[in-house]
Amino acid sequence: MPENRPVILAACAAALALTATTACAPSTGGGGEGDEATVTVWSWRPEDAAGYKKIFAAFEEANPGITVEFKGHKNTEYPTILQTGLSQESGGPDVVQLKPYGPVQAFIEADQLVPLDDKVDLLEWPEETVDAARGKGDGKLYGVPFAVQTFSVLYNEKIFAEHDIEEPKTWDDMVSAAKRLKKADVIPFATSGKEPWVLAIMRETLGATRAGGNGFAQEVLKGEKDFTDPDYTASLKTIADLEPYLPPDSTAVSYTDAQTLFTSGKAAMYPGGGYELAPFRAADPDLKIGSFDAPPAPGAVIDHPLTPGFADGSYGVNAASGNKEAATKLVEWMATKEFGSAFSKELGQISAVPGVTPDDPLLAKMQADYADHGTPYMQGVYFGYGDPMGRDAEGAALASMLLGDASEKEAGEQIQKEISAWFKPEE
Amino acid sequence: MIRSARSSARSTRGRPPWWVLALFLAPALLLYSLFIVYPLVSALQYSLFTWQGTRPLGFAGLDNFTRLFSGVYGDRLWRAFGHNMVFFAGTMLVQTTFGLAFAVLLRRARWGRRFLQTAYVLPHLVSPIVVGYLWSLMLSPQFGAVNAALRAVGLDALAQPWTGDPALALPTLILVNAWQWIGFPMLLFSAALAGIPPEYEEAARVDGATAWRAFRHVTLPLLTPAIGIVTVLTFVGNMNILDLVYAMQGSQGAPAGATDVLGLLFYRTAFNNPDPGAIGQASALAVVMFLFIFGVSILATGYLRRKEAGLR
Repeated sequence: MPENRPVILAACAAALALTATTACAPSTGGGGEGDEATVTVWSWRPEDAAGYKKIFAAFEEANPGITVEFKGHKNTEYPTILQTGLSQESGGPDVVQLKPYGPVQAFIEADQLVPLDDKVDLLEWPEETVDAARGKGDGKLYGVPFAVQTFSVLYNEKIFAEHDIEEPKTWDDMVSAAKRLKKADVIPFATSGKEPWVLAIMRETLGATRAGGNGFAQEVLKGEKDFTDPDYTASLKTIADLEPYLPPDSTAVSYTDAQTLFTSGKAAMYPGGGYELAPFRAADPDLKIGSFDAPPAPGAVIDHPLTPGFADGSYGVNAASGNKEAATKLVEWMATKEFGSAFSKELGQISAVPGVTPDDPLLAKMQADYADHGTPYMQGVYFGYGDPMGRDAEGAALASMLLGDASEKEAGEQIQKEISAWFKPEE
Repeated sequence: MIRSARSSARSTRGRPPWWVLALFLAPALLLYSLFIVYPLVSALQYSLFTWQGTRPLGFAGLDNFTRLFSGVYGDRLWRAFGHNMVFFAGTMLVQTTFGLAFAVLLRRARWGRRFLQTAYVLPHLVSPIVVGYLWSLMLSPQFGAVNAALRAVGLDALAQPWTGDPALALPTLILVNAWQWIGFPMLLFSAALAGIPPEYEEAARVDGATAWRAFRHVTLPLLTPAIGIVTVLTFVGNMNILDLVYAMQGSQGAPAGATDVLGLLFYRTAFNNPDPGAIGQASALAVVMFLFIFGVSILATGYLRRKEAGLR
């Protein structure tokens, strides 16, 4: 039936057009040039919608004619949705929240984001923060980082007081506190051995001093050392040696279980990021949380505590946006202290904008610690640019160690093998 | 002569003109082409290109495929493949066997047949993501009901880290999956059993066969076509499994990759992958999976057809 082919094709096109238009809210608003424009912002944090509404109100007031529409997507589906959204000819987002470091590269390489070097000035910002939004290949800037996350050991102040424990100054203090807690039927450290990324964060939080902090990372980047280095594998063992103080059957503990262990008072300490504070306080508003940096681990290369940190992501402009001018204006504004303060206040996080201090004293302390003795979160900042990602390789190897299936030497070899599948040191 | 002419006239008169047929076939064909054939063909096309994000750079030949099978990527692929095969074997052992047993027992049930049939099929209605979430709550070592119940009755030794022990995690997933899908083989076997005249088994019983012998040598051989269909469909389902494993063990197939399956590997390669060439890699994996599943299904169906022909 050759006569039928055009009909089928036309129907095909019609069906395609139908699915495309109904699936995605168009954001072509007023057309862009001046008068009226709606800037659609896509994010993987729907829980922040109310906060962003307040934050963007100030921008809308200062820029009459521009309306900002925040659209939160489900965290786990966001990578897929963003991939489709940025590939659309029209009707996609104007401003997009981008995962930091490695995961943003595919969009940069496909020219789907607008370079912002001549639009925003981030010279005052720390290198490792800005790197979160830089193209690995061309070194250009494609986003404005919004938050900095730092890692430390969060603890339940009430439990510490009940057992007469103070913030430990040495590793031995910390381990003897853990022993005392365990004897009293309190789980010393809550963590999730089921999620490789949680284990990788635990190693960074407690073991960065043992491996050598940023110095070690730089040596690996130059090819002088690799992940079989004895100081690095010893930092893996630092974590495995804490196994008696982790929740029983730690490799079966999920991320939400680990959070619940801490918020329910079953566990006293939680090695993790400042981003946990908001959900912890939401789970129990009366929870008194303190935070300390892990003391240098036995045999540590660095003789003082370290606060690991990284940029949590950035906001960039969709190259296919019909509202580039207004979108760029919004992203430029996101680099100002006005945005930084509002962001920190409304969403309870450390703003990436330098000079903005969070109102929350605990976050302010984390920020000050990071400024004073910070170190880049190695696996996230430097080894997240290929498949498999460093944090996943490290976390899986740590799980094997916790299960007693691998020695630290074998774990180091496995991590090196996986990361070197894509990572080549600088010549 | 007259009769045959009349019947042929009737058959042409009874058949609607081609354009009516086309009109009725078009919607299904259109949707099928759009959502099945088109993605399949485009995946094959994508797998032959090098990619820079969402932009194809150039023809890559079989590069994506050779990378898939080499080094750490090959290790991951074979490990995931092995887990899929274990999953299939375990599911056949548990889900199909018990599905058949339930179907046979329900046929003989005097009361409660309707209720039990509905009860066994009910978990079908729940999304695997939800099933996975519920079971991971129940199996949680700290807060879960399963271990709490075991400890409450003094069976502490049986309270295991079900999803955290590499030796237990995959069998646990197989059991949870079987819990959800057991109604499916049961329904197919029930339908097949209903098609077997009871006289066959009665005759065997009259001749002195025990219930087991009558089932083993009369009923079971007659179920061969149904067993074949269940086997092929279970195989296809298990090779493609993703949602339940993702919900219970995360995208990395915890612990330490002990439950990584091809579906998860594909998900990670396609959507959790900072490599700009991810689309080519993921498409190559999809093509390999499709060819394998399709090939095995064709061979198995052919083999079963011959077996069925032997029964007649």
